[in-house]
Amino acid sequence: MKVIGDRWKKALWWAGSLTAVGLIAFGIVYLVKFERGQEFVDEFLNWKIFKETFWYVFTGLRITVTVALVSEVFILVAGLLVALVRISRVKLFRGLAAVYIDVIRGIPLLLQIFIVYYGVAILGLKMNIFWAGVLALTICYAAYEAEIFRAGIESIHKGQMEAARSLGMGYFKAMRFVILPQAIRNVIPPLSNEFIALLKDTALLSVIGLAEITRRSSEMFGKKFNITPFVVGAVCYLIVTIPLMRLVQYVNKRLSVSD
Amino acid sequence: MNNDYMVEIVELHKSFGHHEVLKGVNLRVKPSEVLVVVGPSGSGKSTMLRCINGLESASGGHIFIEGMDITDHRSDINVIRQKVGIVFQSFNLFPHLTTLRNITLAPVKVRNMESEEAEEKALRLLDRVGLREKAGAYPAHLSGGQQQRVAIARALAMDPDLMLFDEVTSALDPELVSEVLDVMKDLAREGMTMLVVTHEMGFAKEVGDRLIFMDDGLIVEEGPPEDIFTNPKSPRAIDFFSKILSHL
Repeated sequence: MKVIGDRWKKALWWAGSLTAVGLIAFGIVYLVKFERGQEFVDEFLNWKIFKETFWYVFTGLRITVTVALVSEVFILVAGLLVALVRISRVKLFRGLAAVYIDVIRGIPLLLQIFIVYYGVAILGLKMNIFWAGVLALTICYAAYEAEIFRAGIESIHKGQMEAARSLGMGYFKAMRFVILPQAIRNVIPPLSNEFIALLKDTALLSVIGLAEITRRSSEMFGKKFNITPFVVGAVCYLIVTIPLMRLVQYVNKRLSVSD
Repeated sequence: MNNDYMVEIVELHKSFGHHEVLKGVNLRVKPSEVLVVVGPSGSGKSTMLRCINGLESASGGHIFIEGMDITDHRSDINVIRQKVGIVFQSFNLFPHLTTLRNITLAPVKVRNMESEEAEEKALRLLDRVGLREKAGAYPAHLSGGQQQRVAIARALAMDPDLMLFDEVTSALDPELVSEVLDVMKDLAREGMTMLVVTHEMGFAKEVGDRLIFMDDGLIVEEGPPEDIFTNPKSPRAIDFFSKILSHL
């Protein structure tokens, strides 16, 4: 973030810190002054319930990560294909891709999950919850990642394509050996952020009954009638997302250094 | 159409939208000839060059390369392009590949040449442009002059019969110009057919067999470089050369 000067960075840091300290102070005053402390702990951070529900919810982490990873594979392939169609020289193809991207990005993912899940069932196709979820996530995220791929491809100077073509390479060879290797390097940072967003959006698949973290948390909430299982769920997500965010930061730094 | 010519251009027209850049260009280039193309900016020299290897498609007329009409949509442009090397003003080396891989990419992927063979050939070409020791370097670590010499080697790796040079020294620092021109002079001596768009009048005089002066989408004068320098006939050419040659 070179756009923000050092002074602003410092100011933002102070503003953030002061807000955090303020909130915590307010919380403590609220809990202590009005003697709600024990109630809060019982509802949100109940150690007994934490222990009882942790393993059940934590098992969902494996499903969350699996559904995200499997979807990501399809999303990358579909996203790249849609991007290539989006920049095709055939106007009709270009138009179709543009419509797909606009429509999908204009509809909430939750609604798309319903449409895919019930749609698949009504069409009489046999697809379990896991694969229906993968399909819905792929349809949605491919639209976003197509735009990222397209921006990456278009950021490569047109002289690169000309040089490749003038050596006798066809369009697809030039794409594959000259344009895409450069473009993909440029889109690794935004794509990794998309993956983190995807990982969290798998929570929406709880509505069709996929036994991932959020589903399991909410089941336990229903059983215990206590907020703590949701806190357990939050912890499960953080176990993956925080290291992932650090990793992305590190990789981006490395990429920008070697430029 | 006549197969004795390396390039034959007949009534070439090219428009961008309503703007007509080439207004009926006729030109013949013999094998081993070095043709220098000069003219003010916007006169259509680069556009003509880019039409010759199909980077721009002609709006009208014909271009024959060794008898094959590239404006005919039935001819395979990728095959014709292998006979026509082009070097650009902005080098356009592939930044993600080493010097060596820049040169071997097309022979391996287009000609299906074995990697070892392509590498040997690339090293010979790098010798020729004096850059063998830079085989493992990435383009970003080369000077402009070195990048342009690699770009020439890259084009030569496809064994072209014809080389197009599009203002290849215009983006270079003055002290780097001569190293590129020297490579081009060697090429000319070895009998390569060359079309050179340039503002380097010294080079034109020394190496050019023939010079054409273009203005406003047409070839206005044509002849041995020396003659045109000393005795231009059209007012536009007189004006152009008086401005350019006064600096020599």
